[in-house]
Amino acid sequence: MAKKKPLHWVKLDNAAKIYPAASSHTWSNVFRQSVTLKEEVDAEVLRSALEATVKRFPTIAARLGKGAFWYYLQQVDGAPALKEEQSFPLIYMSKEEMGKCAFRVIPYGRRIAVEFFHSLTDGTGALIFLKSLTAEYLEQKHGISIPCEYGVLDRKEAPRKEEMEDSFLSYAGKVNVSRKATDAWRLSQRDYKRENFLFLTCLKLPVKQVLELAHRYGVTVTVLLSAMMMKALLELQEEQVPVRKKQKRIKLLIPVNLRQLFPSESLRNFAMYTVPEADPRMGDYTLEELCGVVKHKMGTEITQKHMAGMIATNVKDERNPFLRVVPLPLKNLAMKAVFNRVGERKSCLTLSNLGQVKLPEAMCPYVERFDFILGVQAAAPYNCGMLSYGDTVYINFIRNTREGGLERRFAAILRDLGVTVTAESNFNGEN
Amino acid sequence: MYCANCGVKLEDTEKKCPLCGTTVYHPELSRGEGVPLYPAGRIPKPRARSKVLAGLSVPAFLVPLVVCFLCDQSVDGVLEWFGFVAGGLGVAYVTLALPLWFKRPNPIVFFPCGMAAAMAYLLYVALATGGNWFLPFAFPVAGGFGLLLCALVVLLRLLKRGRLFIWGGFFIAMGGWMLLLEFLLEFTFGLPFTGWSVYPLAVFVLLGGALIFLGISATARETMERKLFF
Repeated sequence: MAKKKPLHWVKLDNAAKIYPAASSHTWSNVFRQSVTLKEEVDAEVLRSALEATVKRFPTIAARLGKGAFWYYLQQVDGAPALKEEQSFPLIYMSKEEMGKCAFRVIPYGRRIAVEFFHSLTDGTGALIFLKSLTAEYLEQKHGISIPCEYGVLDRKEAPRKEEMEDSFLSYAGKVNVSRKATDAWRLSQRDYKRENFLFLTCLKLPVKQVLELAHRYGVTVTVLLSAMMMKALLELQEEQVPVRKKQKRIKLLIPVNLRQLFPSESLRNFAMYTVPEADPRMGDYTLEELCGVVKHKMGTEITQKHMAGMIATNVKDERNPFLRVVPLPLKNLAMKAVFNRVGERKSCLTLSNLGQVKLPEAMCPYVERFDFILGVQAAAPYNCGMLSYGDTVYINFIRNTREGGLERRFAAILRDLGVTVTAESNFNGEN
Repeated sequence: MYCANCGVKLEDTEKKCPLCGTTVYHPELSRGEGVPLYPAGRIPKPRARSKVLAGLSVPAFLVPLVVCFLCDQSVDGVLEWFGFVAGGLGVAYVTLALPLWFKRPNPIVFFPCGMAAAMAYLLYVALATGGNWFLPFAFPVAGGFGLLLCALVVLLRLLKRGRLFIWGGFFIAMGGWMLLLEFLLEFTFGLPFTGWSVYPLAVFVLLGGALIFLGISATARETMERKLFF
């Protein structure tokens, strides 16, 4: 009998370490990416495509293991069973489930959704996995040949070493950048009641109109939509906290894909963030001003030098030999305490933009849309993920509370500027 | 179809506008039946709190209870000290293990329960030892302390703001409790009143006053946050 090849395992990367420690019995940091085809998904073919794909992604198709000092990821032995779609995305992923397999594949109608525990990968790595899975599915279903380009990897090829590296350790700078930051306004302050349901609202915008608008303001689409989100947050705070002196800073956490700055090919987490902010106590902000705030913040911080400094600060503790030998349960307690004290207090919500999704030409006739949905934060009710595919921008707002004022204001800002907004949801207006 | 209230275009699946809740209706247009974004009625139950710990707590308390019972009885066939052990274990069970059986144990309920159990235990000890210190000493001292802690838990649980004031008030009240303790020690047991309780009173009042000052002064609060940031 042939000897079975040992399964790959890797230590968690720097960004991934906090997620298992911070997760609780009601919250796990999971995000979803999905592709909607122009035809019904064949579950049998999808199962076979998944079996062929998981071997190529040993660090994404993985389970979360527990060592004495750190968690680790171990490649799963074969594809996991397909899961059934529920009435809302991103159902809580327990530690037991992560211990067996830390990602889920969920077919529903014409959609293939994959939900990833954030320790496995970031949005960019997840998108490469989803594109490769979709390519394999289409090849098996229709017998077509899809070239390995635009993030589609060859499933028959062995995984490469560079794809499995922890790039944080490779690209950490020599100087630490301070992590000190002021607290942001928390959306959960007024009458916050957490529901056993995630309310998803998807806003669809024509790319052409958004691009024209961005050009009019002299900024990129990410900057424009971030500025609009800050405007919506400012308006929401103005309504909920009418006394100007008592208002707090509006801060938006925008993840930055570090692969744009460093020559990394890692499929694991390799993202940092920038946090533009506006202090409403200083007065009202126009959209032009907010565009300026976001543009200049991104301009000064999204540089190789600054990001290397931020990475250096983050990996400093990981390299400390005394901290490394602290047993995992104690590390978990300390990391959870830091996460609760600092973690999400420094921003109102995360706005993650995956940018424009491109596919090999052979896939395009079969694919209708992509979606990117972030899970809610541990203590705050909102989050927002966006991407564009074809001629549409898809913005997915998710919340765990009935009050949906933020997306209403965001849509109103777009509408007032002449953008056609199309809305759909998973709750049929019943909030 | 467009929402008549907020002007956004709505997918055919939306019976109401997801942004403002307005019912979608147009007298001249019929709405198509789109495929819903997610299937309706498939809502997984929220994860129940594990009962494993609660289940394990029963033998963890019962085993020492039985062992103590057998040991005490085997000496001369009479139970002498078993009651104290059983009472102590009972208090520990009510305080630590009982909340584990509940899905969302509310400290506003369980904290006073624990305090009541402790008081009952003290009463038992007083009666069993023939001491007459329960009513004049243990009841007011333990009761006062329990009342203060219960008030702290209730206020912290119910009020989302003003934590510095709550803690400040609690510390000042603790200073007062120290005075009561010394007074009752003298009253019940005839110990000389040396005034030692003034020192913890001063410390508690200073601490409580400082917290209340921080609660009032935003500038001082911000400075402290900056200095003590970690």
